[in-house]
Amino acid sequence: MTAVISAVKLSKWYGNVLGLNDVSLEIEAGITGLLGPNGAGKSTFMKLATGQLKPNIGTVAIHGRRTWNAPDLFRTVGFCPEPDAFYEDVTGFEFVAGLLRFYGFPKKEIGERAERALDIVDLAKDKDRLVRGYSRGMRQRVKFAQAIAHDPEVIILDEPLSGLDPLGKRKLIKLIKGFKDEGRTVLFSSHVLPEIEALTSRVVLVHQGKVLAEGDVPYIRELIEAHPHMISVRSSDPRRLAARFVGDPAVLKMTFGADGRTLVVETRNRDHLFAGLTAAVVEAGIEVEEISSPDDNLQAVFEYLVGK
Amino acid sequence: MTVRSAAREVFGFFFVLGRRTGRTRTFALLGLIPVALAVVARVFLRGRSGDMAAVSTEILMVFFLQFYIIILALFYGTSIAAEEVENRTLVYLITRPVPKPAIVLGKFAAYTALMGGMTALGLAASFFILNAARVGDPALWAAFFRYLGVLVLGILAYTAFFAFLGTVLKRAIILGLVFGFGWETAIQYFPGSTQRFSIVHYLKSLLPYRPGSGGGRGVALLLFRLEPTAPLLAVLALVGITAAFLALTCVLFRAKEHLSED
Amino acid sequence: MAVVREKGYAHWDGSLAERRFPWLSITRTGIRLAFRKKGFKLALASAFLPAFVALGGLYVSERLEDFKGLVQSNRALLKIDPAYFQLFLTGYFQYFILIVVLSFAGAGLVAEDLKHNALQLYFARPLSKGDYVLGKVSVVAFFVILLTGLPWILLIAFKLIFAGNLAFLAAYPWLPLSILGQTALLTLFFGSYVLLLSASSRNTRYVIVLIFGVFYFSSVLSAILRGIFRSPLMILFSLPENLRQAGAALFGGKLPHAVPAFWSFLVLAGICGLAAAVLARKVRSVEVIK
Repeated sequence: MTAVISAVKLSKWYGNVLGLNDVSLEIEAGITGLLGPNGAGKSTFMKLATGQLKPNIGTVAIHGRRTWNAPDLFRTVGFCPEPDAFYEDVTGFEFVAGLLRFYGFPKKEIGERAERALDIVDLAKDKDRLVRGYSRGMRQRVKFAQAIAHDPEVIILDEPLSGLDPLGKRKLIKLIKGFKDEGRTVLFSSHVLPEIEALTSRVVLVHQGKVLAEGDVPYIRELIEAHPHMISVRSSDPRRLAARFVGDPAVLKMTFGADGRTLVVETRNRDHLFAGLTAAVVEAGIEVEEISSPDDNLQAVFEYLVGK
Repeated sequence: MTVRSAAREVFGFFFVLGRRTGRTRTFALLGLIPVALAVVARVFLRGRSGDMAAVSTEILMVFFLQFYIIILALFYGTSIAAEEVENRTLVYLITRPVPKPAIVLGKFAAYTALMGGMTALGLAASFFILNAARVGDPALWAAFFRYLGVLVLGILAYTAFFAFLGTVLKRAIILGLVFGFGWETAIQYFPGSTQRFSIVHYLKSLLPYRPGSGGGRGVALLLFRLEPTAPLLAVLALVGITAAFLALTCVLFRAKEHLSED
Repeated sequence: MAVVREKGYAHWDGSLAERRFPWLSITRTGIRLAFRKKGFKLALASAFLPAFVALGGLYVSERLEDFKGLVQSNRALLKIDPAYFQLFLTGYFQYFILIVVLSFAGAGLVAEDLKHNALQLYFARPLSKGDYVLGKVSVVAFFVILLTGLPWILLIAFKLIFAGNLAFLAAYPWLPLSILGQTALLTLFFGSYVLLLSASSRNTRYVIVLIFGVFYFSSVLSAILRGIFRSPLMILFSLPENLRQAGAALFGGKLPHAVPAFWSFLVLAGICGLAAAVLARKVRSVEVIK
């Protein structure tokens, strides 16, 4: 698949502070999450990708076109910035419609598009209120509306779910997932892991200006062979189960849960452990109620990668 | 979008936005103070038409030329770039298919239109209140349009200059104040061609009276040590200043990254 | 109950004590922020120019023989008396440079808090409205005193040192009080004036324009009204002229205009009262948006 957004050896300094360090990345169609703590370089990457900043070294392009001083590119790109900043003295409708003027749409179409975008984000009934009077969640939604009103092919969202209540988040997550089905490219950033996991399995992990890993979460997890896998087994007799594993060289560590029914096993060879577990169930008759991988999630992957 | 069509859309957006802000209302009210003064003058200088004419042609022009248009141009001119960066709204313009020079040109046009409107309203009302007896006189209208033309040229030149300052510097407004109320005033004391290194020199050269023509203290204040430039040259200089600083602003705005302080 | 200790967060186990002067931290922060602005240090350094010129004059006055040529043409300027101090302390340059410095240091004092909705953060602490205003006014007071009272009291000290005796102080014992009075007047007025305008908008650039604009527009207005009415009372519309009148009264010197100084004090007090009223209204922890 050809990359929609591509960065080659991209670096950006803010004075003496390195914002982004030699980042080479290819983002394909679909939804990609940019994950990292505050100050990791997510917003810097997005600002470079949307032409707000000029790279010091390297390039960043959308559909093969460099983004710095390329206004025509933004016909098909929509951006939702992170800061809570607006033209405050206009209504929600005027804000979205006013920005739609810059695409050359006819006046009637501008009105229709603005109404549709505001309806999508549930601001139809508040469209004639001044933005100054909007709540935090409404402001976030009108920001989103201006990013999608012109039906862009590429949508870049910087912390799109911040400030929204749980219901609002759910609605927006559903909306963003719908974009994938329409064949659009969505790049969004977040430092909240469950948000990323809810939207996509394809992530780019960023930390201190560097890309630590990219790909599907399970795939990344598989790559981290240096870190043992954790398997949690809830059973009727965790101690008898533990006794069966204690002599197995593939098992590194075992911990009993506070509930008295859980055994957490750390191992470098997950497949071997599962085979052993099957044997334990069959041969020893131990009832297994639940098996899970506590670290087969983004948080664990991220923590492993940043060495926490 | 071409620069021209984009600038037109930017003009439309910011003309409407600019009209709504409280600051525009405040500046518009400030421009109406001469109207109130004109009414007061008419009441208290009843029958003294010579005095009224002196008030209108001299004192009001001191207000408009050496205070009002400078304040307006300073605020709106620096706002062209600085306002978007400070309020973090520049992103909404940059991530549209709008060439960056169009943002500068469109906002410049919108704000100068607003300023021109406020100035014209204040000047027209106060001028004709004070010269009500001569409303039918074509010479009076010629003088009025000449004053208005001077002020409009001043707005264009000052706004272009302050727009350039606002793009280049972060604290442009203070330097702009020092320029507008310091340099532009002090330059009149400099001999020879030094005066030509100011905008106000060319504006004063276009006023419809000359040093020694009498008329009272206001004229003396405005034309103090003025060695006027020929009117056509003055107009060309003002147009040139406007075009040059506007072009520089467009070039710089396009080349520069605009980072907000946070 | 579980103790939350993730990411280094921990409850403070010690006792909390209220600070004696809670407004002082606002003042310290305001002063520190002013010094961070580029160009401010230059403006502040320039503001000491009148004091250095006056110091030069003081020196020359004690070494008249050495500066014969200079003295002959400027004898009036080198007469060191209260009028000498009044000339500098109530001069237009002093006000101009104060306005420049206070534009840097004071324009954003309340405006930035309004812009970023920071008032709630202040009043979520044991800080009263009075503490907040006092803290902010103290930032202005710091710079006014630094540029007026402090250098001019030091200049009296230099005069005594250059003269080598206390004759000057014996001749004009009330001069230090006049300088302190003038400093207090400027502090109170500019503190009120700057905060009044800073509280009137969320846009610091606009406030800077207002600080300059209102101050100098009042002079323009006064000049226009004097042209119309030909009455000296019109100077009451001019803020710099009111300051000069009040300053002249404090120094016991000749009033610049044929208007009782009491009227000027009244106008300046009116500005302070207006500032108090506006601040009482604007500075609150909850903002109602319609």
